[in-house]
Amino acid sequence: MSAKPESIEQIIAQKHIECLHRGFHVWPALEYGKPPAMGDSRWTADLILSTWMQAETGQPPSNGLEYRTGQSGGGFDVLHLKFLPPEHWLADDAAIDLSIPLNRRDYDRQIRIPVPFYGAGMSYGSISENVMLARAMAARKWDTFTCTGEGGYPESLVSYKDHVITQIATGMFGVREETIQCAPIIEFKYAQGAKPGLGGHLLGDKATTTVAQMRESVPWVSLFSPFPFHSVYSVEDHKKHIDWVKTINPAALVSVKVSTPTDIDMVTVGSYYAGAHIVQIDGSYGGTGAAPEIAKKNIAMPTELAIPRVHRYLVAEGIRDELVVMASGGLRTAHDIAKVIALGADGAILGTAELVALGCTRCSNCERGRGCPFGLTTTDPELQRLVEPEWGAARLSNLYQSFQSELRTILRQLGLQNIRDLRGRKDLLLYRGDVKAS
Amino acid sequence: MYGVFSGPVGGFAPREHLCVGCLRCTTQYPEFVRILPNPARSSLGDSYFTPDRVDTVCYEARSGKVPVKGAGYRGPFGGSGWDGLWTDMSEIVRPTRDGIHGREFISTVIDIGAKPWRVTIADEQPSRRPPQLLSIPIPVLFDAPPAALLTDTVVRTLATAAEATETLVVLPVESLGKSAPRGRHIVPLITGAHLAALQQLGFEPAMLELAGWDQQLFAQVQAQFPRSIVCLRMDLPSTDALLRAWASGVRVFHLLANYHGRGSDGRFAIDLFREAHKALVAERCRDEGTILGGGGIIAAEHVPKAIICGCDGVSLDTPLLVALQAQFAGEAVRRETSSFKLPSRFTVDWGVMRITNLMASWRDQLLEVMGAMGLREVRRMRGEMGRAMFQTDLEREAFSEIAGYVS
Repeated sequence: MSAKPESIEQIIAQKHIECLHRGFHVWPALEYGKPPAMGDSRWTADLILSTWMQAETGQPPSNGLEYRTGQSGGGFDVLHLKFLPPEHWLADDAAIDLSIPLNRRDYDRQIRIPVPFYGAGMSYGSISENVMLARAMAARKWDTFTCTGEGGYPESLVSYKDHVITQIATGMFGVREETIQCAPIIEFKYAQGAKPGLGGHLLGDKATTTVAQMRESVPWVSLFSPFPFHSVYSVEDHKKHIDWVKTINPAALVSVKVSTPTDIDMVTVGSYYAGAHIVQIDGSYGGTGAAPEIAKKNIAMPTELAIPRVHRYLVAEGIRDELVVMASGGLRTAHDIAKVIALGADGAILGTAELVALGCTRCSNCERGRGCPFGLTTTDPELQRLVEPEWGAARLSNLYQSFQSELRTILRQLGLQNIRDLRGRKDLLLYRGDVKAS
Repeated sequence: MYGVFSGPVGGFAPREHLCVGCLRCTTQYPEFVRILPNPARSSLGDSYFTPDRVDTVCYEARSGKVPVKGAGYRGPFGGSGWDGLWTDMSEIVRPTRDGIHGREFISTVIDIGAKPWRVTIADEQPSRRPPQLLSIPIPVLFDAPPAALLTDTVVRTLATAAEATETLVVLPVESLGKSAPRGRHIVPLITGAHLAALQQLGFEPAMLELAGWDQQLFAQVQAQFPRSIVCLRMDLPSTDALLRAWASGVRVFHLLANYHGRGSDGRFAIDLFREAHKALVAERCRDEGTILGGGGIIAAEHVPKAIICGCDGVSLDTPLLVALQAQFAGEAVRRETSSFKLPSRFTVDWGVMRITNLMASWRDQLLEVMGAMGLREVRRMRGEMGRAMFQTDLEREAFSEIAGYVS
């Protein structure tokens, strides 16, 4: 019996998918040079293309693409790693441990991830369900985590629940007891680096009926999450929040996502005393599905400047080894991860890098109309087809593999066997404002 | 998906104006499609008012909306001038709990004028006359454009837009002829040479502005317009001159950098505004007067930043021209020497709409910044330097232990 003929829509979609996949392959190979209109100073064309290549091959490029840093003229892009002379490098086969614990307290559940990074919160609505699934699949394969963001918990993610962080944000969209109960880590999002001090934005065109149903809202109406939590006026109120989720799910670890105000050190200490296991410092150059341009650029400080302050303050308080500090907000490469750990973080959280691995060109059209023309940050049923979950999971897995390989190489060349030994080692960094970093 | 190739002959005649730069076409078909940056766009503005800035102001003037886009920040790390300053936010403090897009009320009103510290009573009468104050609902006023642009249409456009937005517009007194608009929102800019024009003004402005310090002219204007505020226009840096003028009775200052935000000594407005503000703070009289800052304020974020640096309000120059779709003829550094080309024909209504939209957008963006900071009135933002983060300070703190770092 012959197979049922495909619909014309399926044939068209398949044609587009094939062409896109071919594009993701041929552009990084530089057969056509670099796309002249691609990239910006943070995510250069080289960084985008090299991320595409890593997502395909699982290895950094060897064809001259600059895959380590961008050209922003500051922060990570002017910090070098101070490698040892080759004769002092660890052997190629030296065992390098990249694992980090996500609970440094001596009570509550102990979770350790084999790589010092996990996936950032991206909500259902800001990205498609297929992309969420791809991220969850990759997280399970690497025994790390991805995060729901604030848009609810699609049913399809339940089978990956051991690797999915449930986010509770100010809009409380899709927050239900059962999704809190099944999560190994609960993340409270107080603020987001790309729009510090402002709530989430999901513009009306993307609030489809299914998205609205998940969020228990009205379809096609823009959703602006309030800011901040209406129930939190102090650290004591914050502790009340933590007590609340611990009542629902006593086994869960608690993460607190904050942005980077002047008193970020105090905020972190307050979160620690309220009982958080993880504090995510989300710097101002982080990604978003939609945010006012004025907020992205001007409100709060970049993560490179916040992490050293937080680390130093926690050390001074004598609590540094009891709290996990995860850095996010503009981390693009394995080198950025190593640098931010050297500045004082325990690990890193990746968002935009994952989307770039899936084909994002950083065109900044995530918020409009049907959303992303590459099927990533969209809720459009047709566009979602462009990212098959299995294909996406393989791309992300390859990116993780490349980052793992790079981090091992970095540690070997720094003479370290353990990523945890890199934390706060500013002496292994070199500032060169006049020379492109490596 | 944006309709670029949906014309009758598809890709053979793409509808370029619909392109959003997503690069999907070139990604899928690298052998057929090549997307190039538009060279015409890269020639917009000048080295300070960059094409991106021009684009943004044009969008704001067209739509009246806050620019909202997906993906993260795309520009350089910090930078010089205004870009080297980040504003603070609070994780838990908001002006109110009603939401910025709902009922939350944040005041953007500022007061301009002399504010005596106290009223002293002598012989059962106040020893000083009541404060001369005027309030405008947004901390932004319009500065005079270059003389060559002072056509009847431009003057009417600026004056009508100022009236519509309930702010003020500074216009040279000689441009206020018999047929020119009248009203308290017009601030005549006066030099000693134009006293005759002042005599024939025909209305009582809320404020007048002296183009430079002239004790005799100051007294003369005060006498002629006893109910009006008299403001002194000064080029930055101006601390010594400002203090001298203060001692002579001036209470409102309009401090100006050039169009690129630089003072005559080359320093940027951030430092110069802070210096002027701190000088009055040191004299313990800051709350009794008003500082209006201008020059180099070309984006919505520059307004709160200037206020944080000590200005009560700001004046706009080139953004108003860009909102009117003016093209730069070379570098525009100083008002006296800059050249712009405005559209050959435009109506006052169109211009007023564009400027009103720009103000609406900038006000809403000011609310975003103030909301994030947890401030409910812009007057309380003035000089709040503790709520600003300067890149140089933060880098010194974060990187000073790192080899190679030089402050």
